[in-house]
Amino acid sequence: MNIIGPDYLIFGVDDVAACTEYLTAWGLKPVNVTESGGLFETLDGTGIIVRHKADPTLPPPLPTSNMLRQQVYGVRAAEDLDAIEAELGRDRRVTRLSDGSIEFKDDHGFELKFQVTIRRELDMPAEKINAPGAPAQRRPNEIGVWEEMPALPRTLSHVVLFVPDIEIAARFYCDRLGFVITDVLTGAGPFLRPRANDDHHTLFFIRTPEYMKGCEHLAFHMGGPTELMVAGTRFVKKGYQSFWGPGRHKFGSNWFWYFNSPLGCHFEYDADMDKHDDTWVAREAPMGAEASQIVLFEMREKWAPGGPPPGAKH
Amino acid sequence: MSDPTALLQHTETRYLLCRASDIGEGEARGFGPLAGSRRKIIVLRRNGVLHAWRDACPHYSTGTPMAWKTDAYMNGDKTHLTCHSHHALFDMETGQCILGPCLGQQLTRVNIVVGDEGDVFVAGPTEEI
Repeated sequence: MNIIGPDYLIFGVDDVAACTEYLTAWGLKPVNVTESGGLFETLDGTGIIVRHKADPTLPPPLPTSNMLRQQVYGVRAAEDLDAIEAELGRDRRVTRLSDGSIEFKDDHGFELKFQVTIRRELDMPAEKINAPGAPAQRRPNEIGVWEEMPALPRTLSHVVLFVPDIEIAARFYCDRLGFVITDVLTGAGPFLRPRANDDHHTLFFIRTPEYMKGCEHLAFHMGGPTELMVAGTRFVKKGYQSFWGPGRHKFGSNWFWYFNSPLGCHFEYDADMDKHDDTWVAREAPMGAEASQIVLFEMREKWAPGGPPPGAKH
Repeated sequence: MSDPTALLQHTETRYLLCRASDIGEGEARGFGPLAGSRRKIIVLRRNGVLHAWRDACPHYSTGTPMAWKTDAYMNGDKTHLTCHSHHALFDMETGQCILGPCLGQQLTRVNIVVGDEGDVFVAGPTEEI
């Protein structure tokens, strides 16, 4: 089962126009978007699909106020879909669609779809830094930042779910779909990566009451911490609401910046996440402010020392 | 008869939020934060009456800001004050969460007064706001 990670997350929203504005400002590209919604994609083609909550083509809603309707996972090849169908078909209905993709529900009732991934391979440099003692990553005269520098989400990184039972959730994704637990925040839940992705996590669970079941946040990989902070600063300047960050997580080492959204969950820019292989031994730490971040900052308006000397006449 | 000096002092410490005419029926806007506070004050009009709430969703103990964009405090159907962290819906008149992570909890009401000129002020102490 070569599962790579989320290709699309599908939402049934109550204000398509607001979501269109938001997702575009976030840095996603509208693809065939109309008044009834559509796809908003990252640079590699993964992204968010929104439709009005009354759209009959949407999968059914969760029994909560959450707007997530379906998680669409990408796999490497058609054989992976066959393997998933064979495994899940043992105890639940698996629907094979005409395009070869398959749909079923996980053990908490989240709607899942698996397809041969649509993601395009990216060929772009990571953020380059210079440091004493290491070879320079930027050539002489190559500058690091400029006002109009691009800072667009490169790919859909991960999704975080509120689930009532961590054991049930972790068992389902690990035992049935081959995910691996990379680290655990006790009191919240485990970080998971699928077999065909070496990112620290594409999935994380947070234990919550049944009435909160849904998507807590989703995240996009940026080209580096500078892109993350540039994109977030531009977003705040346009009037969007920061929720948490910028900062850098401990588990996963990824930089983060979370924002509120009209999709009923947080949106995160992330950057520079750890990679792991099967030799990694999962760590465990109690959930809390210390465990969840190495540094945390809060944006403020630009300021610089200077100005007229004290007592100067205007 | 009231002491005119006391009235003057009271007026000086009142915090002006907006004009009543700034808030249309079914609309909400955020003002502030007041000096020393981290959170804005949401002023909304429902059935002709102005209500003010601290812009702090009770889901987390510290309270977190609720809009998804400046002044965007309502759900898409414009029926509820909404926290756009996790789509918690609040009754506009009672501040009660009726759906979402903070189900059964309540927003913190900010007492306001509308002056003769139509200015909307925070009434009473603002330390907790």
